[in-house]
Amino acid sequence: MTDAAVPTARPHRASLLADDARMKRRKAAETRFRLYGLSAIAVSLATLAIMLWTIFSDGVSAFYQAKLTFPVTLSSDLLDPMGNGNRDEMVKVTTVGYNKLLTRAFEAELAAKGIDTGELSNKDVNALISKDAAGDLRAMVLANPAVLDTTITAKMLAAGRIDGYLKGRVTMQTAERDGQISPEQLQFADRLIDAGILSSQWNWDFFTNPDASDQRPEAAGLGVAILGSLYLMILVAVMCVPVGVAASIYLEEFAPKNRWTDLIEVNISNLAAVPSIVYGILGLAIFINFMGFPQSSTLVGALVISLMVLPTIIIATRASIRAVPPSIRDAALGVGASKMQMVVHHVLPLAAPGILTGTILGLATALGETAPLLLIGMVAFVDNYPSAPVEGFLDPATALPVQVYGWAQRADPAFIERSSGAIIVLLAFLVVMNVAAIILRRKFERRW
Amino acid sequence: MDDMRIVERTVNTKASKISAKGVQVHYGATHALKDVDVEILENTVTAFIGPSGCGKSTFLRCLNRMNDTIPSCRVDGSITLDGENIYDPRVDPVRLRARVGMVFQKPNPFPKSIYDNVAYGPKIHGLARTKAELDEIVETSLRKAALWNEAKDRLASPGTGLSGGQQQRLCIARAIATSPEVLLMDEPCSALDPIATAQVEELIDELRASFSVVIVTHSMQQAARVSQKTAFFHLGNLVEYGETGQVFTTPQDPRTEAYITGRIG
Ligand SMILES: Nc1ncnc2c1ncn2[C@@H]1O[C@H](COP(=O)(O)OP(=O)(O)OP(=O)(O)O)[C@@H](O)[C@H]1O
Ligand SMILES: [Mg+2]
Repeated sequence: MTDAAVPTARPHRASLLADDARMKRRKAAETRFRLYGLSAIAVSLATLAIMLWTIFSDGVSAFYQAKLTFPVTLSSDLLDPMGNGNRDEMVKVTTVGYNKLLTRAFEAELAAKGIDTGELSNKDVNALISKDAAGDLRAMVLANPAVLDTTITAKMLAAGRIDGYLKGRVTMQTAERDGQISPEQLQFADRLIDAGILSSQWNWDFFTNPDASDQRPEAAGLGVAILGSLYLMILVAVMCVPVGVAASIYLEEFAPKNRWTDLIEVNISNLAAVPSIVYGILGLAIFINFMGFPQSSTLVGALVISLMVLPTIIIATRASIRAVPPSIRDAALGVGASKMQMVVHHVLPLAAPGILTGTILGLATALGETAPLLLIGMVAFVDNYPSAPVEGFLDPATALPVQVYGWAQRADPAFIERSSGAIIVLLAFLVVMNVAAIILRRKFERRW
Repeated sequence: MDDMRIVERTVNTKASKISAKGVQVHYGATHALKDVDVEILENTVTAFIGPSGCGKSTFLRCLNRMNDTIPSCRVDGSITLDGENIYDPRVDPVRLRARVGMVFQKPNPFPKSIYDNVAYGPKIHGLARTKAELDEIVETSLRKAALWNEAKDRLASPGTGLSGGQQQRLCIARAIATSPEVLLMDEPCSALDPIATAQVEELIDELRASFSVVIVTHSMQQAARVSQKTAFFHLGNLVEYGETGQVFTTPQDPRTEAYITGRIG
């Protein structure tokens, strides 16, 4: 470079204040690009908003339920014929007995408040009380026999059609064509509302009740599904995290790089892309038919979902292990740490936030997964709570998304409302999990 | 070369600490080191110089088997530490590395506190029985690495929050905390300012009393200032190895002369 000709740049003396044509084109392209991005975000936000709006407008009403409030005297003549408060004897009184008590109390309240029942027969009047109410009352009395011979203010579920009337789903017009309710009953319901007996109230039972039959949508709740989903999450986390992390550490840090590990790698990526229904069939064949695990149990559901999310967790974990700078590994090995010490002391703590995010995202997928659970029978109608862990993992249960699916299948529009309500609960679960992911991530992430 | 102050330290005939014979290194198909013979003496600073890519780091990493971590790397020949072959299958590289410490070119403190950085080696090798002993090791190591005054009030703050030069001294402290017998330093001053460089060089000279030090450097001045022996590498060959004064004043090989006068490299 002694005497090589230096290319003489032609001085470019345009004003800095005015853009030339090229600059204008560049700026236009930039503006357009920004607009594309903005409109993409706008479209997705709008979709989200519409989705949330439909779900909430359909589903929020599931959290409220029409209830009849009236005093009931729990006379022991009817409920405890032996008169000794012995629970074993009291069990012999069926819901029919309780129903009699309830209808009597209801009629007495109507008479006391002087509410005109019009042309309605007693049977039509009492049809306003849910068929589930007597069972509820019986469970309450059996749980606490001390209430015998006292007068309680009972808040009894109203029939599903009455609930629908309060929520605007049932009108005078539909009632005319409806075998289960008549316009006269609705007018009577109006009078009950005015008297303060019938009202819409916050419905905790929606979160705690098990599913109910087609005739009693007002009693159907998410209790079993929430419990089932919770069990599923616990089992999936317990099964996936150790296996996934151990597999990832082995593959990243210890496995030799050869054709076998390449094959494993390809397979893991492929497994992550296998449709979930395939895992359901696999689970049905292996866990239920071959290994004989109980159908519909959360254990089988968790095994199937674990198989499904394991590849995702492994991929996320490996990526975060790989992201740990090699210089840290060198540093650890350089002071004489063994490979295991290097991994446990340095690599894992640095990879933890990534592993955690991957795991929680995997669990979130698991929470929303429906198809494989349908195949292993978790869609069955389950109205008994699974017992407490560990035995409870073998009991039949259902899961939130499956319950959504199940209710959406039913004919009565009251179940559609509950289906949307279940979606809201599911979304709430997901939000809680994602917030947990963010909080844990923040906690583990060290910015140094 | 006349601006260079060559240390006229007499090298007493000393026992050999590390002896490398016929070392060949391949990275896959690349032949990175060709037939290298070097004796590293006890209580001596040995400098490796040579143009970029000539294999200095590669050779350095052979001496504590850090090359084991590179799957494609193959080392042939024999390297002995105190007469024992370090590539013997019975040798656990973990124990070797406790005796042959290393400081890397890029400062790489652990994302932990300053204290934990220095204490990590002694902890995993069980060098301290009590917390007080560990504190003492941490303090002496930091003092030796000329970092104590800057770090003593912030031992609990993250090591990665230090400046580049401080981080490198922290790494030196970490390496000497396990009291190795040999300290390998790969361009330890490339991230340091002249003052910190001078401190590290002074430190290296002090370390010589207790360890053998091997230092890779691109600065001829540095090699001349701190080392007693110098090895010149070129394209994977060990071209010349001798006493520093002799290598810099009367190089035997024309390539050495060309390099130190700035004509190749
Ligand atoms: N991990 C590796 N894989 C493949 N080849 C490598 C690897 N590390 C080094 N090499 C090759 O080995 C040769 C010697 O590299 P080395 O890092 O020892 O050079 P160096 O003398 O330390 O250079 P510098 O002064 O730039 O640090 C180079 O040709 C390099 O490309
Ligand atoms: Mg190098």
